[in-house]
Amino acid sequence: MNGGPLVSVRGVHRRFGSGATAVHALRDVTFELAAGTMTALVGRSGSGKTTLLNIIGGLDRPDSGTVLVDGTDVTALDEDGLSLLRREKVSYVFQTFGLIPVLSAAENVGAPLRLARVPPVERERRVALLLDLVGLAAHAEQLPAELSGGQQQRVAIARALAASPRLLIADEPTGQLDAETGLSVMALLRGVVESEGVTAFVSTHDPTMLALADRVIRINDGQLHEHPGLRSDRQLDEHPGMRSDGRLDGGSHGRDDS
Amino acid sequence: MLRLVARRARAQWPLLAALLAVAVVGPTLLGTCALLLTRTAEQALETAASRATSDQIDVTAYTVTIRDEHARSVADDTRAVLTSALAPFATTTAARASSVMRSLPSAGVPAVAYLSGVEDLPARTQVAAGRLPRAGAVPAEAVVLESTARQLGLTVGRRVRLGRELADDPDQGVEVSVVGVVRPLPGTGWDRDPLAAAGYDPAYHDGRSAQPVHAYGPFIVDLADLLGGGSTLDRLEIGAHPDLSAPAARDLDTVTLAVLGADRRLGQTLGDRVRIQRVASRLPSTLLAAHEQQRVTTAAVLAVAAIGLVLTATALALAGRLSAGVRNDEAALLSALGVGRGQLAGAALVEAGALAVLAGAVAIPASSALHAGLTRLPLMAGAGLATPSGVNAVQVLSVAGGALALAAVLVVPSLRTSSGGLRGRRELLARSGADLLLVALAAVGWWQLRDQPAGSGSPIDAVRVLAPALLLIAGSAVALRLVWPALRLVELLAGRARGLMVPLAAFEAARRPQAVAAGLLIGLGCAAATYGIGFDATWQRSQQDQADVSVGTDLALTLTAPPGAGQGNVVGAAIGGEVSPATDRGIAVGQWLGGAGDPPRLIAVDTTRAEALLRGRLNGGRTWSAVGAGLAPPTRAAGVPVPAGAALSLTGKATGTTPLTVTPRLLLQDATGLRTPCTGEPIPLDGEAHPLPDCATAEGLQLVAVSLPFAIATGNVGTGHSDPLAEPPAGDSRVAVTLTVTGTGSAASPWTATSAGPAPGQLGNPAVALTSTSAGTELRMTTTVALKGRPDAARNLVATAFPAPGPVPVAVSARFADEVGARRGSRLDLTVGLTPVQVSVAEVLPAVPSAPGAAAVLADFDALSRALAVSGDFDVPVDAWWVGHPATGDAADLRLGSVTTRASETARLTGGPLQAGLPAVLRLLVPAAVLLMIAGVVLHVTFDLRARAVEVARLRGLGMTRREIRTVLLGQHVGILLPLLAAGAVIGALATRVVAPLLVRSDTGAAPVPEVVPVWPWAAEAALLTGLLAGCALAVSAVVVVQARLADAAYLRVA
Repeated sequence: MNGGPLVSVRGVHRRFGSGATAVHALRDVTFELAAGTMTALVGRSGSGKTTLLNIIGGLDRPDSGTVLVDGTDVTALDEDGLSLLRREKVSYVFQTFGLIPVLSAAENVGAPLRLARVPPVERERRVALLLDLVGLAAHAEQLPAELSGGQQQRVAIARALAASPRLLIADEPTGQLDAETGLSVMALLRGVVESEGVTAFVSTHDPTMLALADRVIRINDGQLHEHPGLRSDRQLDEHPGMRSDGRLDGGSHGRDDS
Repeated sequence: MLRLVARRARAQWPLLAALLAVAVVGPTLLGTCALLLTRTAEQALETAASRATSDQIDVTAYTVTIRDEHARSVADDTRAVLTSALAPFATTTAARASSVMRSLPSAGVPAVAYLSGVEDLPARTQVAAGRLPRAGAVPAEAVVLESTARQLGLTVGRRVRLGRELADDPDQGVEVSVVGVVRPLPGTGWDRDPLAAAGYDPAYHDGRSAQPVHAYGPFIVDLADLLGGGSTLDRLEIGAHPDLSAPAARDLDTVTLAVLGADRRLGQTLGDRVRIQRVASRLPSTLLAAHEQQRVTTAAVLAVAAIGLVLTATALALAGRLSAGVRNDEAALLSALGVGRGQLAGAALVEAGALAVLAGAVAIPASSALHAGLTRLPLMAGAGLATPSGVNAVQVLSVAGGALALAAVLVVPSLRTSSGGLRGRRELLARSGADLLLVALAAVGWWQLRDQPAGSGSPIDAVRVLAPALLLIAGSAVALRLVWPALRLVELLAGRARGLMVPLAAFEAARRPQAVAAGLLIGLGCAAATYGIGFDATWQRSQQDQADVSVGTDLALTLTAPPGAGQGNVVGAAIGGEVSPATDRGIAVGQWLGGAGDPPRLIAVDTTRAEALLRGRLNGGRTWSAVGAGLAPPTRAAGVPVPAGAALSLTGKATGTTPLTVTPRLLLQDATGLRTPCTGEPIPLDGEAHPLPDCATAEGLQLVAVSLPFAIATGNVGTGHSDPLAEPPAGDSRVAVTLTVTGTGSAASPWTATSAGPAPGQLGNPAVALTSTSAGTELRMTTTVALKGRPDAARNLVATAFPAPGPVPVAVSARFADEVGARRGSRLDLTVGLTPVQVSVAEVLPAVPSAPGAAAVLADFDALSRALAVSGDFDVPVDAWWVGHPATGDAADLRLGSVTTRASETARLTGGPLQAGLPAVLRLLVPAAVLLMIAGVVLHVTFDLRARAVEVARLRGLGMTRREIRTVLLGQHVGILLPLLAAGAVIGALATRVVAPLLVRSDTGAAPVPEVVPVWPWAAEAALLTGLLAGCALAVSAVVVVQARLADAAYLRVA
């Protein structure tokens, strides 16, 4: 499943503010992400995790350095190019779920497909497939406010997968979830990396989630420290609801308590 | 708590500034309206009084029959009563007095004459010879009119002795010395002279003798000489003119009451020194009408203020709700920290109170400045209402009250906790109930307006004030209920689209019902603005219509004295256009005389030129041309031409031994259709040719009728004195009379002879023949006169250049038709003067020109005068000249009477000081509504986008470009704005159609005539809506662009 690097970050610097009060969010960050892997980015609050994710996803620009995503130099793209990048190659899963409140679960999942102008029949088929994948087929018409936190995050993951991205960036996707729900969400991410072949770059500060990652990168004061980590099959297998094929078998019954 | 409020104010000053800006608008509007209703209203009343014409404010005291010893004291006391009634205004008085008739021995025939004293004689006469009389001369100095001098052969220096008074009086007469000959100036009161300034009347009836006598006069002496000269006064008239150039409203009220009581006080003062006394003036009715008009304007201004207040309250409710939404988290935090609801409410009250104080402090000078600016608009400045900036107590109280009320509106949302579940359902239920209540109140208001077109009569009519605001807000609330389902439909349709932008915009628009207050404000603002423009146009159109039907023509010259032959030519030359004589006077319909002071009216004008002459809106697609054609005779009467200066003579012969006389009357028509009589002296039917008086006084005259009243000559022919016969005559006399008009040789159309009423049987076989000779035209009339009956019984042969017209076709007003139960084809008997005229109803009109709201009859002047003429009545009533398409509106130099033009009446009704407040305040409403609406839109969009900044960032995270996000946001807001604006326009149109006609009043406060037609000025409304849409779109775009730019990745981390 692992291949060549999908993401290549070289010498990225990012500073906020200037002078004595300047904050160096990233300092000479260099690393690569192999395609089809799940990499965890850990670090304390304010360590630069979100800044790094935003720069890779084209939501922010580095002061210096380059970022290649699937061979595209993100730092050289203009606004429209960045939007196109996010639309076609990079998807986000946010800590706050990032769902559009006025859209139902199905509509939220279908939003990237509408952006890609996928024909309605094909769109509906894929939305149904994705909701089934995340175990929310029965909640398709519910608005985000009617779903639990865990369910919302699953909808967010389904939406992130809708446009078949090469890279899935998840910024503390379990930050607002209880431990059990968080684990199920991480397991879901792990599962889709394997089943969909997508490359996932997930920031978290929850050490219990690290076992699900193929690789762990630690960031501290804007500098990276490689932290070799192994995926714990035992931990994965022990998690209730996770099937051996990496897909969730439940979660669609009732609300998660989050 | 104060510290919390202060710190929060520092932190959230932009929010508070926005709230303050909105909160200032309502009190400013209220303050401006308060100034309009106090300072401007008072000034309007004063300006209207200062602009009133003399005939509207002059007070005249008439006293009749005053013995010589009381003459001076009566004059002095009358002046004192008038002057005191008009106090504190400076008053000028002018007296005119005439003595009773005295015999005039020097005339050679039985004749009478009278003395007159006229103050301000130089302004009323033009000296033709000699000079004006001086007081105190012995014998008294006098001037006479030119016609009197000509008839009596008087020249300057002659002395004339007027004999004893005709009443039993020991006075042996007075002698005057003629020092001048004068020419009376028209329009200077000579219509009230006993002989109407004719100077001579060969057939004067003084009521003491059955036969007429010659009358001459006036012999005008100085008034002091008349009052102290031992003559009994037949009439004394004193006119008082108050100086209202700078009146105070309070003094006007005082004078109104004093003048109303002046008649009683004059009676008490004069006692039995006079036989009759009366004080007449239009001043009280003029000032009361001004008050009434002011009441009408006040109601309209208050109605606009109510709309403005409702708008501001809605805007503030929106602002309050939005700010409460922004502060939800803060309130939750404070609650978590232990701050109680009471303390939170206290903070909200303190903040609202501070806002109210600030709003009031700003609104007072702002309303003063706005009011001053408003009064400098051409509309109000032209009405004389420009005022400097100022403050008064009513304004301050209105502003303070408005600010406090609006602060209460502002504070309510902040006292609420978040609505959800049962509480939310309760609120929805309450809202539904409020909507239903509003609709019910609006329906009741409309019904009241419709049921009471004249209003309640109270100084402030609550229905008129509140009904428009209720209808607008109820309509907006209902429309809001309909807009969301419509948006849901749009959402369904948009969901089928392949892309994201259109569906997302539609979803956002349709699925955010929390924008109710914003929707209400947008709908209400648009409705108020469109209604303001529609009401203004409807009001203007109605005033124009009222002016049209009130004047009835383009220019009406109301005569102070009957016109002479050829006067139409003078009027036509001076004014230009289509000139027609017009009749406008009260009549009787059968036994019906109408109400008190409101008799049925007869309007007659040349209807063959109706399209050019008549004005006023017709219904049913009729035109004045078609209506007029149905009233006029089929052909014009072609009389015998009478060149200017032509000599006319009459030769008559009667068979039998009873001597007969005839007093010929000729009816002459000039080029404008004016028909004037010319009366000769009694002529014996002795076979001799007798010259007639100089009737051919103008060019272009035609003889269209001749009246020959025969009388049995029982005394000295021509003296008017008769001696009853010892034996009454009997049998018949065959009579032949020939009227010769020299200088013409053409015979016109066949003539018709009739025996006129009331005793047509006194004449037999009347006939007339027209022949042309080398000397001129001869009109030979024959008949058989029955000699039995009273010597003065009517034996009147009338020869006319037209056949007997039969019933005169008339058009009647709707009110006339209702009052007498007439409809098309009805035949009615009218009495015009003393002459019965049968008419047939050809048309029923909404109103007859110049008689709005009256029971009135419109006839063709020619047809009417024909009907009168065949009845022997040659005194065709002419009260005015009507002019269509005049080249100039300035006919004052003619001094024939008062001039009213359609344009001036329209200007008075739309831009007079008492009316100008209404269009001015409507011009205030429209921008205020637009301003509040756009402010509300900006507030709503700003708060909405701020609250949705995270969502915008998420859309970017999804891969939407900024341009696409802007399009979605714009589409969403425009998607909401468009149906709301459309709904507002529909409500405005509905209000214009349903309510505006019921709110427009005439200047008397009554329902206008003709009926008000709602006007929807498409161009202005389209421009307004386009401007509103553009303004809103611009405001939304600006906010969207800024917010879309600000909503960057940083927001993605915000919960």
